[in-house]
Amino acid sequence: MKPDITHLRLAGRLLRRDWRAGELRILLSALIIAVTATTAISFFTDRLQRAMLSQSSELLGGDLMLQSPRPLDTTWLRQAESEGLESAEVLAFPSVVVSGEHLQLAGIKAVQDDYPLRGGLRIADTPFGEERTTDAIPGEGKVWVEARLLPLLEIDIGETLELGSLSLTVERVLTFEPGGGGNLVSLAPRVLINHDDVPRADILRPGSRVTYQYYFAGEEQAVQRYKKWLVPQLEPSHRLIDVREGRPSVGAALDRAEQYLGLASLIAVLLAGVAIAMGARRYSERHFDVAAVLRCLGAGQRDILALFLPQLLWLGLVGGVVGVVLGYLVQFGLFYLLRELLPATLPAPGLMPVLMGFLTGITVLAGFALPPVLRLREVPALRVLRRELAPMPLRGWLVYGVAIAAMAFLMWRYTGSAMLTLSVLGGAAVALLLLGMFALGLLRASRGLHRGVGVAWRYGLNNLWRRPMLSISQILGFGLTLMAMALIALVRGDLLSTWQTQLPEDAPNHFVVNVLPDNVEAFRGFMQARGIDGAELYPMVRGRLARVNGERLDERVSPDDERAGAVHRELNLTWSDSLPGDNTLVAGRWWLPGEAGQTVVSVESGVAERLKVELGDELTFTFGTGEITARVVSLRSVQWDSFRPNFFMIFPPGVLDPFPATYMTSFYLPMQEKGELAQMVREFPAVTVIDLDRIMEQVRRILAQVTLAVEYVLVFVLLAGFAVLYAALQASLDERLYEGALLRTLGASRSQLRAGHLAEYALLGALAGVLAAAGAELIAFILYKQVFHLAYSIKWPLWALLPLIGAVLIGAAGYWGTRRVVQRSPLVVLNNV
Amino acid sequence: MSNHPEIRNIVSAEGVGKQVETTTGNLTILEGVTFDIQAGESVAVVGVSGSGKSTLLGLLAGLDLPTAGRIHLAGECLNDLDEDGRARLRGAKVGFVFQSFQLLPSLTALENVMLPLELAGIASAGQQASQLLERVGLQTRLSHYPRQLSGGEQQRVAIARAFAMSPAVLFADEPTGNLDALTGSRINELLFELNAEQGTTLILVTHDEKLAGRCQRQIRLDGGRVVADEA
Repeated sequence: MKPDITHLRLAGRLLRRDWRAGELRILLSALIIAVTATTAISFFTDRLQRAMLSQSSELLGGDLMLQSPRPLDTTWLRQAESEGLESAEVLAFPSVVVSGEHLQLAGIKAVQDDYPLRGGLRIADTPFGEERTTDAIPGEGKVWVEARLLPLLEIDIGETLELGSLSLTVERVLTFEPGGGGNLVSLAPRVLINHDDVPRADILRPGSRVTYQYYFAGEEQAVQRYKKWLVPQLEPSHRLIDVREGRPSVGAALDRAEQYLGLASLIAVLLAGVAIAMGARRYSERHFDVAAVLRCLGAGQRDILALFLPQLLWLGLVGGVVGVVLGYLVQFGLFYLLRELLPATLPAPGLMPVLMGFLTGITVLAGFALPPVLRLREVPALRVLRRELAPMPLRGWLVYGVAIAAMAFLMWRYTGSAMLTLSVLGGAAVALLLLGMFALGLLRASRGLHRGVGVAWRYGLNNLWRRPMLSISQILGFGLTLMAMALIALVRGDLLSTWQTQLPEDAPNHFVVNVLPDNVEAFRGFMQARGIDGAELYPMVRGRLARVNGERLDERVSPDDERAGAVHRELNLTWSDSLPGDNTLVAGRWWLPGEAGQTVVSVESGVAERLKVELGDELTFTFGTGEITARVVSLRSVQWDSFRPNFFMIFPPGVLDPFPATYMTSFYLPMQEKGELAQMVREFPAVTVIDLDRIMEQVRRILAQVTLAVEYVLVFVLLAGFAVLYAALQASLDERLYEGALLRTLGASRSQLRAGHLAEYALLGALAGVLAAAGAELIAFILYKQVFHLAYSIKWPLWALLPLIGAVLIGAAGYWGTRRVVQRSPLVVLNNV
Repeated sequence: MSNHPEIRNIVSAEGVGKQVETTTGNLTILEGVTFDIQAGESVAVVGVSGSGKSTLLGLLAGLDLPTAGRIHLAGECLNDLDEDGRARLRGAKVGFVFQSFQLLPSLTALENVMLPLELAGIASAGQQASQLLERVGLQTRLSHYPRQLSGGEQQRVAIARAFAMSPAVLFADEPTGNLDALTGSRINELLFELNAEQGTTLILVTHDEKLAGRCQRQIRLDGGRVVADEA
């Protein structure tokens, strides 16, 4: 006999019948939960990542941008063309614009029709008027300018300004231009002109400081091929910018959200897997007789597999389809919850998440349901005569091994890193072991309840202690879910408020940067006149740390190392003759007044640790126009949350003199005096004010949305937990039916039995709540003390609320799930045994 | 098949023994059982509870292997076949009727009877099965599930299923043990009728002396040994 269409038909018939009898409900429900959670998260991350990438392209103005101090070799442009890429050239240079007696240094950007390749320019008709996106560029003789230039030149829209020998009419206010202005002109107000006006203005001479910006756009693979071709040929003066570097600042929050959502979905998959394993075991055991009869009628082991495996496949298919459809719907909820953080338009859902959903379904079935179903093959035919004969129990290593392999595979699909997968699995195993021991302790401790309760309650509580492994796994499942939910609520509600209340009343709430050197005295006077108590004005020079003891930074520390990420970007460097007030020297010594001008540097201790920099090491910094190498003479610890200007690197006065500097400070301004800011901006148009109150508000909003989204996904974890509860209930149902019938025959009333069930599950829920409270308390303590350095107080409400919520939720679910135990007449139950 | 007993012996047991390990040592259930059963014979295996009747039936049908001796069934030595080989032989040559009916609860009466035919890949399974059910008087019950049938009706379905593949040997284990006297005797009638119609070898295990008396031959077991073998 070979597996053929007859087997499939028969398998289909058995499946239909089992479905009608409710045998497969738990298996299918758990499978749907797993697939839904994974598909929803896959849809979400897939669409989000594509949206972020295209948004970044819009910010950049293309998929790739190359900045060069000279025009590019034409072969480079031809190579781009041969890859099918579009390209556009833009000139950026600083120049003085004039109107009447007013002169102003501006950042000129000369563009052609094809600019930008991605996204669009944003303009307004009046300063601070309504913004709109446009495909056009300024016509010849026209100019679009940043709003802050108008008051500086004392002109209005429609009036003219002079650039070199040209007179240009100010047509629009420029509010955003993709790609930025190149590093020479980023601080000056931006002026956009037509490329054709450059020669006529006659302002570019040999030696002029011009940045040539080349934008490229096209198919992603072509862009990557071109980038690969280009990179080895770049010179030090070239700068290549990829879309990934241009991600918006909420990107980090969304990245984290993606990770948490992915993790939550994996936990849901794991719990669903446990439910599937329990459901499959019951399914298998209830089919021992069927398998024995089939063996008796001549079915070989392969026939048995040919009959039962297609049932699993069918189940996988149905669960996959339903789960994918539900996941598709659920992702809309996620996008809705995170709508304020996301781009307004998103790419349409792709096919990848659908495949991912099916893959998850099949993997979970294979990992958790296959071993028990394979056992059917081993059922002895003799069971038809001797019912007590069952196949050998499965070996523990097989069951757990296959399940762990399935989870590892899914996790690896999600993380893409074998190391990370192994460490997460290892960490999870240790954590589960510890938590399991804690749960066992709780279970043991609860045995004290045995005394002083009535017979019904004792019966219920006994049920819990009689199957300790099952009870522990359920306490763990629900406990972890409740813990995650409680932690998220804590982070959202308590952490930020605690942090804010622990700040001093008058902690600075504004930073000001870009105070020009000429304006330092006037700015100080402005502050004093208004009684604004600010910190020192610190000079600030932009520079990059290039080498440590001659070794290139990117060889010493991976650019992917998040903790060291800051030093890969441009740093704010400063000089000072004295150690700033909230800094403490931890190694070396501060320089003496006579040592000014020596090329030495003081390094913040945290960054020194990450870079493995010690006293005496030589750090080389590069600037737009040169570089210096300085010896490390001291390490400082910095109190970052003082909200005063703080720096990774401080030099003695004089060292940074060759490089252009601006000044920065911070100060506290109460809400009612915020009007002073407008006056400050009017008097010092170049300065940029950063309002921390507004940033805090934004952080709070982002946090609220991200945590809500994670909680949304945790609902699936909770559902999967209930699937485990239901599967466990099913597994013990026959036994419960029998015991219930016996107890009732012996005179127990229905209400006594029901009270027992309630006691059993309410205690289970309460113990899960205690575990959750302990876990949440511990993690919150570590978060507050170690990560945020905040004072911690025990969160007493957790200890009352979580056990109560657990008892009510799980008590109700268990009470409902066991209702059948008292519905059938004892006679029927006992006759069927 | 030169070293097989003559094919006229459809079943033969040579010095068959069965021992099982228990916590208190080896327990002998059968010992030195030897007999031949010829094709078309009807044989009752009788004895008190615990005498080893059902164990012998299981061994003869190839559901289990003896710990001593050899068993031949339909010309094949069961000792030489693996479990799948014995399953194939059962599918082709053997029918079963059990005390507890052993119908698949998830299949209808018709589907239960179709099962062995379908497993053998017979195309007209449905037609043959419904004819058989008609033969046992259940033509109006084709689409009923086992739980919707009485005990007697369930056993009739089981008999129809047992004869579906026109087996060479039919093994029956206390076929009326779960039925009342009247229903039991009707089932017995049916069993012997079909047996005569198809010329099947019938080997039945029973402690019902009256039923055993209807067979051509009785093999009596006591303490795992054959104590009488009479026609």
